[in-house]
Amino acid sequence: MSTNEKLAKLPSLSLNGVDHTARPTWKLRETVEFYRDKLGLPLVHAITAKGWGRAKEQHADFIHFFFDAGKGSTIAFFYYIGTTQPPELVVSRGYMAMGNHTAWRVETKEELLAWQARLEAAGVQVSQSIKHEILESIYFRDPNFYPLEITRPLRAVERIDGVDAELTIAAALELADAGGWSNIEQLWRLKAKQVAAYQRGEEVAL
Amino acid sequence: MSGFYVLDVPEFASVVTAAKAIERCLVHAPKRGYIFVQFDGEVEIRRVATGLGEAVWFGCLTGGLDGKIVTFDAERIKLAPTNEPAILR
Repeated sequence: MSTNEKLAKLPSLSLNGVDHTARPTWKLRETVEFYRDKLGLPLVHAITAKGWGRAKEQHADFIHFFFDAGKGSTIAFFYYIGTTQPPELVVSRGYMAMGNHTAWRVETKEELLAWQARLEAAGVQVSQSIKHEILESIYFRDPNFYPLEITRPLRAVERIDGVDAELTIAAALELADAGGWSNIEQLWRLKAKQVAAYQRGEEVAL
Repeated sequence: MSGFYVLDVPEFASVVTAAKAIERCLVHAPKRGYIFVQFDGEVEIRRVATGLGEAVWFGCLTGGLDGKIVTFDAERIKLAPTNEPAILR
């Protein structure tokens, strides 16, 4: 039995939003001051621990602390006492490393602009608001250089968005599997054939 | 039949409006969530005619393209018919 066949026999599940995301920090004071004082996110939980007693890995003693990010979610940090930041965990410059980011949600343009003004007042460099397809966002970084975003929905996501996403990913997978994929024009050409088939009511890989 | 597909959602509506004003473009009726913009020969769409910000502009062919990109920069998209396959082997 294939993995997909096994999964099809199991009950479907859903998740209920984000509980927390976590990342390490070597800038304890700056991190606390940024999230608690500049952003104003309440510090809601902290645990301190004597390593984790692992024989094979010398785990540093640590503090794990959490800031309230709304609707039951938190953004959390680990501070590993007495350690230095490994080079591979330094956040790289450039757009690729920005792909790894946290985006918080607000509901209105006014809220988005109020956050932008607060960040500027706190001396944080923040972008102008940028409208994407379904979101409008501002971008900034924390003292660890972790990229952050605050965003508001411009519209609800509809069924057609999901259909379009499936058609896009189907074309992308085909190109990735074929090899030699170098640009988005290739995807757009392949996708056009699939959209045409979808419009004709043909079976497409959804 | 050369053309491109526009997802029938608000953020791309101005692309369709701009295409309607171009003589070489024929905008088909929406079907199953996509609008096909057919073009005849080389066609140019200027960003200023769409009023789009760059973030959406550079994704405005995301619905699919039956054609070839001649130019695609912050100011204009030039498209032309092609027989080139999507996957080059």
